[in-house]
Amino acid sequence: MKTLADIVNTVEVSTITLTVNGRQYELEIGGHPDEVDPAHTLAHTLRETLGLTGTKVGCDGGACGACTVLMDGKPILSCMMLTVEADGKSITTIEGLGDPLNGKLDPIQQAFVDNTAFQCGFCTPGIILTAKALLDENPSPTESEVKEALAGNHCRCISHYHVVEAVMAAARNRR
Amino acid sequence: MKSFKHFNARTVAEAVQILKAFEGHAVLNAGGTDLLGALKDRFLPTYPEAVINIKTISGIDYVEEDAEGLRIGAMATLASIARSTVIKERYSVLAEAAGAVATPQIRNVATLGGNLCQDVRCWYYRYPHHVGGRILCLRKGSGPCQAVTGDNRYHAIIEGKRCFAVCPSDTAIALAALDAHIRITGPAGARSVPILDFFKTLGNVLKPDEMVTEIQIPRPADGNRQRFIKLTLRKPIDFAVVSVASIMMVENGICRGARIALGAIAPTPIRATKAEQEIVGKPIDAQTAAAAADVAVAAAKPLSMNGYKAVQARALVQRAILA
Amino acid sequence: MSDEYRFIGKATPRGDALDIVTGRTKFVGDIKQYGMLYGKVLRSPHPHANIRSIDTAKAKRLRGVEAVLTHEDVPNWRGGVPAHLRVLDSKVRFVGDAVALIAARTEEIAAEARELIEVDYEVLPAVYDVVEAMKPDAPRLHAAFPGNVVPPGFPWFGPHTLQEVVIGDVEKGFEEADIVVEGACAYENFPNPLPPEPPGVIAAWEGADALTIWTASQGTFTDRTVLYYILGRKVNVRAHGVAVGGSYGSKNTAWLLIVQAAVLSLASGKPVKLCYTKEEQFAAFTLRLGSRIQARIGMKKDGTVTAISGDWLVNTGYYCAGTQGQVAVGCGEIQLVVRCPNWNLKPKVVCTNRAPSGIVRGYGGQELKCAFLPILTMALEKADLDPVEFFKNNYVKPGDGYYWRDGEWWVSNGVDYTKAIEEGAKAFGWKEKWKGWLKPTAVSGTKRIGVGVGVHGNADVGEDTSEAYVRLDPEGTATLYSSISEHGTGQRSSLCKMVAEVLQLPLERVSMTPPDSLANPYEFGTVGSRGTFAVGSAVIEATEDARRKLLELAAQKLDRPIEDLETADGVIYVRPTPEIRLPWKAVMGFDRTCLGHGRFEPNFTMPNFMMVFAEVEVDVETGQVALLRVGSATDVGQIIDPLNLENQLNGSLGSAGIDSAIFEETILDRATGRVMGGNMIDFKWRTFAELPPMQHVVLETPFPSHRFKAIGVGEITPSPGPAAVIMAISNAVGVRFYDYPITPDKILKALGKVQGRKARGGAA
Ligand SMILES: Cc1cc2nc3c(=O)[nH]c(=O)nc-3n(C[C@H](O)[C@H](O)[C@H](O)COP(=O)(O)OP(=O)(O)OC[C@H]3O[C@@H](n4cnc5c(N)ncnc54)[C@H](O)[C@@H]3O)c2cc1C
Ligand code: SF4
Ligand code: FES
Ligand code: FES
Repeated sequence: MKTLADIVNTVEVSTITLTVNGRQYELEIGGHPDEVDPAHTLAHTLRETLGLTGTKVGCDGGACGACTVLMDGKPILSCMMLTVEADGKSITTIEGLGDPLNGKLDPIQQAFVDNTAFQCGFCTPGIILTAKALLDENPSPTESEVKEALAGNHCRCISHYHVVEAVMAAARNRR
Repeated sequence: MKSFKHFNARTVAEAVQILKAFEGHAVLNAGGTDLLGALKDRFLPTYPEAVINIKTISGIDYVEEDAEGLRIGAMATLASIARSTVIKERYSVLAEAAGAVATPQIRNVATLGGNLCQDVRCWYYRYPHHVGGRILCLRKGSGPCQAVTGDNRYHAIIEGKRCFAVCPSDTAIALAALDAHIRITGPAGARSVPILDFFKTLGNVLKPDEMVTEIQIPRPADGNRQRFIKLTLRKPIDFAVVSVASIMMVENGICRGARIALGAIAPTPIRATKAEQEIVGKPIDAQTAAAAADVAVAAAKPLSMNGYKAVQARALVQRAILA
Repeated sequence: MSDEYRFIGKATPRGDALDIVTGRTKFVGDIKQYGMLYGKVLRSPHPHANIRSIDTAKAKRLRGVEAVLTHEDVPNWRGGVPAHLRVLDSKVRFVGDAVALIAARTEEIAAEARELIEVDYEVLPAVYDVVEAMKPDAPRLHAAFPGNVVPPGFPWFGPHTLQEVVIGDVEKGFEEADIVVEGACAYENFPNPLPPEPPGVIAAWEGADALTIWTASQGTFTDRTVLYYILGRKVNVRAHGVAVGGSYGSKNTAWLLIVQAAVLSLASGKPVKLCYTKEEQFAAFTLRLGSRIQARIGMKKDGTVTAISGDWLVNTGYYCAGTQGQVAVGCGEIQLVVRCPNWNLKPKVVCTNRAPSGIVRGYGGQELKCAFLPILTMALEKADLDPVEFFKNNYVKPGDGYYWRDGEWWVSNGVDYTKAIEEGAKAFGWKEKWKGWLKPTAVSGTKRIGVGVGVHGNADVGEDTSEAYVRLDPEGTATLYSSISEHGTGQRSSLCKMVAEVLQLPLERVSMTPPDSLANPYEFGTVGSRGTFAVGSAVIEATEDARRKLLELAAQKLDRPIEDLETADGVIYVRPTPEIRLPWKAVMGFDRTCLGHGRFEPNFTMPNFMMVFAEVEVDVETGQVALLRVGSATDVGQIIDPLNLENQLNGSLGSAGIDSAIFEETILDRATGRVMGGNMIDFKWRTFAELPPMQHVVLETPFPSHRFKAIGVGEITPSPGPAAVIMAISNAVGVRFYDYPITPDKILKALGKVQGRKARGGAA
């Protein structure tokens, strides 16, 4: 039987690599402000360590979808994911959509602008990313598929109706 | 979250070894959708020293079928189960139950093993520590049950004894109807237990250094009819208030066999065996269904606020039979 | 109608749309100040207790901790109305009340330090119910409030703040009645407005008497004014408004959060960010008021109401942030809905050992309406009257009067909503669906369908004062100086639109200062649907003033009478000879700006209006309720932006609105005084998967408000909903309900399906 020390040596990591919006970050595990503590969630790392505050934290408990990001293309809750366990993954946040250099928007973002598919906007980044994953997988969803896909995203202002219209419009425009 | 040591296990054996080395002070992290909530709210008096990532164990997220039945790796995600063609075709009650859990984002990472091993949702038990301190109760080994005298609208109406928290897992109900077995691996090797024996009033049969590795489901007879119904106040996200999973063999309108499992009304998934007996050999009609539904909830002993759950459970059994 | 205008009435992208969709919008949580610390609050485990002693020594020793404060350390700052609540007190009054404050270099350290504080409590008996709280031997929360009844009076609304509705002679009124009904109804589910962004603030002292805050308030000047009084009338507060991640009224009463951060900053000498967690938001931040009414209503057979009397008991939780103001507006609003010559409605505001209740969209009026309408409809049932017809006859019409929040008698100078009601009812199909009282619209298997209607209105669209400057620059651009925050209504964009319309400038040439109480003139904020009329009036006046100054300059330059001059697109024309034109730059030079000023004074003559129709389906076997369809009707004079308006109308489903009739509820465990299920799973809110079709009827009958003849309606859209839904459920199942929310257990019980099995235990 191996001792704990043997195991620790083999399975405790000291650095991790994250690809966020196409850019690679090498992050040290540790307790300093620019390091990643094992208890840090991906949401925390994105917002506080990498300064990508477009990802919102609403409930910090898996129930509101504000912190949704794409991990290898799939929508996940960054508040329920340990950063150390995202090692090697590719993450897309709201900052990774569109092109900041020329101001071009993703068609979904544009549709949200055109349809005023938000009120306070706090839920919007999470909703847009969830919608993007849907359209990437299913370019022509029905309205009810859109609603199902977004069912984990809380919007208290009730911008849902415009969101559904915007996602349907984006689907049309992407085709 | 308070810090902890973190390990990426590469094999089941490694995970079990680390569990053992920490002597009950380490926890497994599968999808993390239940565990992280527990660590953030710190509702338990103890906090783990170590968290062991089991997503790094390769090859335990399979869905495989052979002539005997289905084998699902504990790390299979609920999204993959809900989408699997094999499961949708022959084990649809499980696909529906998995698809009824939480939200799309959660199902993308939540695992079947985690769904079965998740902690209860009793709101006394889960009261967040940072808003006035955690609530101690019998399940935490300290003091009486708070729910029995308190707001127990979502608690058990059947088989509650000292703790009235209900089994929160949706997939467990489907697996109970499917007669599944849970494969468990520990330092001394592996064993399989029937799903109903896996759950206990105050948790499950896992020892601190064991983990679930596989869920085994016998292949149901051809021509069966499966149904999963989950009542919630709103959809989705919610845990079941009452749920039912059923598998029925019906030939020419006559019931030849039935397995009906009820969820969220008892501390563990339960089978409505009396109701099953009631309908076997009888024509499936409103009268049989009503009679079976009556016996299904006959043993209910509601608490002060949850008598309505018996009425709902009755309706669900009836609907599952007639569906 | 909107063809008159270039921008008004057209859907245009919101000015902040790009920031929102790209994630650049900065909410409080997204902002850091140099050297900033993080605050945490240690919260009480007891609903009522005296603090015997607190030991903070261990917490203070923890590395990274920079301040730990208890009631012994903090200044004697007091908030509430009248001022009665200390920032930290030697007494705690609800589970979650602040016991100690911590500031540390990271949130984790602050949380760890919190664990190290030891407190010894003397536990006191607690009371949660308004009637219990008023009993002579009830535990008393505040020494200043005998019987736990909060004294009336709300300084913001002036010396005669409306405290009750007492008009005519109710005894005589009851004698004249053919029908007299009496009953009690409780809207006491304390639904959480639940803004998605948890409450948060950053506070930084810039000197002994200068405090700067970054606040998610709906009104920077409200924070500034309130803090001025709380901090001893000597501190100059600069409030930066940041993007508000939802408020629905609740973040307007965040003074306690702000002062907690402020005192930590004072003690540590550094900026402090204090953001509550979602669980703290559930357990210790603003909920809706509890509202219970015991009322008697007299009515003639034809539906003429002859008398209304009653006691309205308002549960404000452990302290009173200004509930008297909500009572005043509620009392005003009820008169808009029922035409009655004899009133005796007596409110009482009561403190209990619960989390704070305060301002939430609907501001007292929704709470009163939800409890009152189910009793009123008892009379309508007896008289066999269609509620839509009744509301049509009763809703306040031009020329009708009412006592408003200031205690003065105001006469409506608005529009007649009869047409809106008729068109709304038609669009909803009310006539076909309405089968009479307690009669389902349709029955199919175990499912029963029912319809209901509710109504609400508010004359606060013209409340309080606003000031604005508009600055014209030579480049042909305009800047609006106004301290309006954006919290979702799109109001900042709508105001820019008004400026653009007056100046005929392309929208992109109009910008607006950030909400900041230093840089901008006085602004009460976007509350009570006042953005369109009250704020809009000040903005329009400022724009017209600036425009006039510009044209005066141009008139001199061109030697033409000012009446002949026009401006559009940054160019000045001479009307009869448009070829004579001067760009603004030619008039102003490069070194001049034209500054206009506008001010709005309160005007309560234009009540707005909202009617909500609801269709529900009840499963009588499971007790489950599905909201099938929602219709609404209103008249706004002139739509400013159709998409923003539609968003606000759809918002009736959120912010403790319609769904507070069926599943929104803050559950209190009476044995421990704790909120059960204070999280986003157990507290229910509507999801994408369950969206009922919505149909809004919006008329545009010009109001005598300002040059665009518009008034706002955003605040009140949720308010008629709950009463409409309770009526619909009652009609579906044939049983009346007087206790929100109508959850499956209540329905099954009402239908006699929950057998009285001997229950074990039971909640108190
Ligand atoms: C908003 C929200 C809604 C939810 N709704 C539902 C719902 O409707 N129905 C429902 O059933 N659940 C629901 N859940 C609970 C939970 O997220 C799911 O049950 C999920 O399937 C848990 O899986 P996981 O892999 O994320 O588990 P984890 O969080 O990783 O693990 C849960 C527990 O099981 C242990 N564990 C995990 N895997 C193993 C293993 N292989 N062997 C032994 N122990 C193991 C962990 O140590 C931990 O204690 C909800 C959760 C949230 C946050
Ligand atoms: S039901 Fe169980 S978990 Fe809940 S309070 Fe009682 S003993 Fe504790
Ligand atoms: S913040 Fe992650 S789900 Fe709410
Ligand atoms: S826009 Fe405010 S929560 Fe969705």
